[in-house]
Amino acid sequence: MHPFPIRFLIFLSLFFLNISCNQYRHLKRSPPEENCIEKFKPAFQREEYKISVDVIGKHISGLLLIKYMPDSSTRIVFTNEMGFSFFDFGFPGNNGFEVYHIVPQMNKTALIKTLRKDFELIMFRNRDRNKSYDLADSSIIYHAYPQEKGVNYYITDEPCSRLIKMQRSSNKKPIMEALFYDYTPGQAPDSISIRHLNFKFSISLKKLMPLASQ
Amino acid sequence: MLKSTALVILILISLHSQAQHGGYTLSNHPETFRKSFSEATASIESIQSGFSQEKTLTMLSEKMNSTGKFWYKKKDKLRMEYIQPYPYLMILNGGKIFVKDGQKENQFSANSSKIFQQVNRILIDCVSGNMLNNPDFQARIYENAGSFLIEFQPVAKNLKELYKNINIVIDKKEYTATVVEMIEVSGDKTIIRFQNKVLNASIPDSVFNIP
Repeated sequence: MHPFPIRFLIFLSLFFLNISCNQYRHLKRSPPEENCIEKFKPAFQREEYKISVDVIGKHISGLLLIKYMPDSSTRIVFTNEMGFSFFDFGFPGNNGFEVYHIVPQMNKTALIKTLRKDFELIMFRNRDRNKSYDLADSSIIYHAYPQEKGVNYYITDEPCSRLIKMQRSSNKKPIMEALFYDYTPGQAPDSISIRHLNFKFSISLKKLMPLASQ
Repeated sequence: MLKSTALVILILISLHSQAQHGGYTLSNHPETFRKSFSEATASIESIQSGFSQEKTLTMLSEKMNSTGKFWYKKKDKLRMEYIQPYPYLMILNGGKIFVKDGQKENQFSANSSKIFQQVNRILIDCVSGNMLNNPDFQARIYENAGSFLIEFQPVAKNLKELYKNINIVIDKKEYTATVVEMIEVSGDKTIIRFQNKVLNASIPDSVFNIP
């Protein structure tokens, strides 16, 4: 039998697989709308959140401190309830990153990279306007910011009056979704949820009120 | 010459020990303390108290505060119930650890992880007075007029990666821990202060029940 039909079928199936997998393909590309996303950028001054992490059947909780430092960097520290520090990350400048401390049990390159990218998305970092573009359907705009690998999307309604959600994606489909709840733009959100779509990993944050003694 | 050198060394040692733990000097009679301490703790069947916890993040000049209630019953039952900044419950009973965080309940065996086993033992040992017999740490005893301060330095490799040292302040009247200070390798520290202690009250076993 001639191999052509088989090769052709493989090509055809790969072609259609590619089309069906690319979840952004139906959207119409347009130049970026200036100043839309900037107004939704949260301002973390000194916020304490209760953090719950669920990862592949395991649950960890504790306190997450997000603090804007005098040198304009942002520090994120995760401790458990008994005060033991799991990690202390620094985000200096526009796209810098530093691990000040991490417990040996969590000191894995893939985990650090994932957490870094997740936090960068919710802090609206790494947004190069020169590379950005918009994708739109009838009522939603995906404000796209290409990263070293994949794209970060900030998804708003058409008139840019509401931030619907945020996504980290590969070139074809979302791999993580983040949402702000009870959020007044320009302040720190009351709650934040981060959910990975390619494996069971989610983070939820709920802002804590300062104690009377503080 | 020799005498004056020895004197200078002695002064330096004394200054060093005072600088390490302000107001405390290295105890001259550590064995006497060990004996009295072990006799006193042998008579403690239970402890009930409130606690306040202060976590200091040195590099961020930040403090994070918590408060809660604490129950201990001989020989290996412990319940720590955080009230502020949010409810969080931890029960250690035998070799089991139970944690309740909001609606989430988690139960696991301390034996399933060596580090949990060690941290579990630190907690129990700190309040029960057995910390001096914990082979994972080397102890130095300091004292002032009202209390002893025991400085524990980790010997076990995995604990050395986590803690620089753990200090326990023991009051001289009751020989029970009033303050536990955990200093991490990064310099960050957590201080737990016990308040309104009640010794040897009858605490039902159900307080430590793991569902």
